[in-house]
Amino acid sequence: MLQQCQRKATCRCSTVQNRGCGVIGMEQSYRSNMRSLSVDYSHGGKPTGFDVASMDVRAWLQQWPRVLSQLETLVVGLKRRQVSGPYNCAQFTVELYRNLVGSCKWGTAGQLMDAVREVGKELVAAKPSELAVGNMVRRVLYIIRDEYESAFSAGDGSGGGQAATSASLTSPSASRGGGGGGGGHGRANSRGESTPRGAATGGAGGAAGTAEGGGLGPSLTGMLGGQFGATDFGRSCPDLRQNVVASISELMTELRDMRGVIKEHAKDTIHANEVILTFGNSATVDAFLKAAAGGAKDGLNFRVIVAEAAPLCSGHVLAKSLAKHGIDTTVISDSAVFAMMARVNKVILSTHAVVANGGLIALNGSHAVALAANDLSVPVVCVTGLFKLCPLFPHDQDTFNCLLSPAAVMSFKDKDSMRNVEVLNPAYDYIPPNLVDLYITNMGGLQPSYIYRLLAEYYHRDDLIISPSDEQAS
Amino acid sequence: MDEGRKVISDDFARQLSPETALPVAAIKTLIGVIRRSTNTTIRGMEAELKEAIQLMEDKMETDSPDNSRSTISLTSGCQLFLRHVSRFVAESVGEEGFDESCKQQLLHRGERFAEVSETSREQIARLGHNFVRDGTVVLTHGYSRCALHLLLMAAETKVTLACSLREGRPDGAGFKAAAALSKVGVPVTVVLDSAVGYHMEMADLCVTGAEGVLENGGIVNKVGTFQMAVLAKAYNVPFYVAAESYKFARLFPLDQRDLPKGKIPRAPFAAPEGTPESVATFSPSVDYTSAEYITLLFTDLGALTPSAVSDELIRLYGEA
Repeated sequence: MLQQCQRKATCRCSTVQNRGCGVIGMEQSYRSNMRSLSVDYSHGGKPTGFDVASMDVRAWLQQWPRVLSQLETLVVGLKRRQVSGPYNCAQFTVELYRNLVGSCKWGTAGQLMDAVREVGKELVAAKPSELAVGNMVRRVLYIIRDEYESAFSAGDGSGGGQAATSASLTSPSASRGGGGGGGGHGRANSRGESTPRGAATGGAGGAAGTAEGGGLGPSLTGMLGGQFGATDFGRSCPDLRQNVVASISELMTELRDMRGVIKEHAKDTIHANEVILTFGNSATVDAFLKAAAGGAKDGLNFRVIVAEAAPLCSGHVLAKSLAKHGIDTTVISDSAVFAMMARVNKVILSTHAVVANGGLIALNGSHAVALAANDLSVPVVCVTGLFKLCPLFPHDQDTFNCLLSPAAVMSFKDKDSMRNVEVLNPAYDYIPPNLVDLYITNMGGLQPSYIYRLLAEYYHRDDLIISPSDEQAS
Repeated sequence: MDEGRKVISDDFARQLSPETALPVAAIKTLIGVIRRSTNTTIRGMEAELKEAIQLMEDKMETDSPDNSRSTISLTSGCQLFLRHVSRFVAESVGEEGFDESCKQQLLHRGERFAEVSETSREQIARLGHNFVRDGTVVLTHGYSRCALHLLLMAAETKVTLACSLREGRPDGAGFKAAAALSKVGVPVTVVLDSAVGYHMEMADLCVTGAEGVLENGGIVNKVGTFQMAVLAKAYNVPFYVAAESYKFARLFPLDQRDLPKGKIPRAPFAAPEGTPESVATFSPSVDYTSAEYITLLFTDLGALTPSAVSDELIRLYGEA
């Protein structure tokens, strides 16, 4: 049955063109693949925990065909670019993990983390340039660590200081944990909302933020507190499954609500009669600009200039959508960006990923836009959800890039007369952090120099490297 | 008492070897102080440690009469260790006092701390060497074990890598580093300190070590680092610093001269013969590079932006 599913997935993929087809269409086809999977709970023998040393993760997952086929479908979808764009990738990855944690019998927390890591390797290898996939793998690992450690630190709290982990010593996570084992979700929430926003609003918030920043990452404080070795993840923790699934569900909610939260900042960012320049198409920018424009009653009047982002010209899609909403929209070619920049008040960019130093991996051509803006001192604002925050460093322009089909740049008709011409169509640009003035995220407005703090907030240091390709960039 | 001072001083001298960093030697000496101590109160113990630190600082100054070595890292390492002791006390000793088992626990943790400090250079190299890509030209300054380790590890994995070292006047430490790099087959050129402007346009990145990392994320390092950093910024060349976290010092200098007394050692520098008496010479052996010129710091805590350094320090010392 599994093979059937896979075949179906492959067939469908082959009918979908790799490029030029709307992402939405691809997502639908991926969804229908998912639906076609029927449930089969029967498996021979007793399910065994995952042992990374002795078995392949696929072999282990065969005990739960449903999860396995979900994995296979996602891997195929990523490879065929049926699933593309950071948001879709993140969403499907988290969905897969929720099922994996919820329905598989994985043994200890350590074994679960091994399984999560192995599955993560498969997913990242399927399409390394989708950095959001790796981010979500790391988030899930962090959730497991967090739930595991808080389960024990809450239990040990009364037994005197010596048993408490250093993580709980360095930060008020001990006091958060004090609420008891069931307080998992509330904690995650308060951490997510209060800390970064408080610290991001200005220097004054810094002191309040620092104490919380301890997290699970390494620090001078942790080093002094005796946090040297790795935590033992072998102990049994009865509520772990339930807590982790709850936290992952929360992560899914966070993903879903992200755009709504970002949108709330639109009215504060864009003012009446401003001229906004944006580049290419992005659902987040689209929602952001529409939120700023408001409705008929509380409408705000501003102009948007959309650079088309050749060769794919995704800017046309955005322009149409904005114009339909009644926003004064102008489309320009990418080469006219500098000429127009003088009359622009703000540049609003979307991004493919935010990297560890606060720079961006964004649509090819964005760097030129950011440089033009910088030259004329026009503020560059990047609107992005924090699931795009990637803990790796971009060492040069090629680290996180991939090449797309050259057909968009030059027609195949000309191939005979252009025999010796190499045609390149890179997908992304790296924009260094000094060219970005502000990030508007689901945590509020952030400066590029603040990004490193969020990394410790979301990811554990030991999880940074998931696949061999990450090692190049860590 | 003098007997005790002599033991500490000898112990410190024994720990100081070319391969051991100054702060690590100091921390090991302090562990020795705890081991020998017969103090039964924590206050007494802390006083004893402070005295030992003072002793080591004095020794550093008297041993190098011209003050050629900076004591910033010694002080920061010791401060960190003291902080470690007082945190330990706050956590696990409580009111009832300091007994033998506490002492053993403290010693055990202290030793782990020293171990971790020793392996940090390796960690930094592992973290930083990926920033050096195939075929890059690296400009570095003087002799830093940390930066050198990083470059050696990069040289192991990369096909081509060219290094330009600045000679590192006045002690010519650049030649020492150049020898180590050329031994593993890295093409090395030693250039004049004054020619850094000439070479900057050819460099892809700069890496240096640091004597001390300051609270604002700036560094104090061998004289000449500052001009290199300014030029790197002018040419948009990334400027990286490799430094262990025990070098994080609680200093916030406002300008070059705003470092505590004795923390800016002088380098030997004599005027040529025939120079009139009225001409003064002055040669500091370290300078201060402010945070704005530094792209990233590679430390054993990860690759940090300069602002992350102050964060770490505030988190550690701020909650006293």
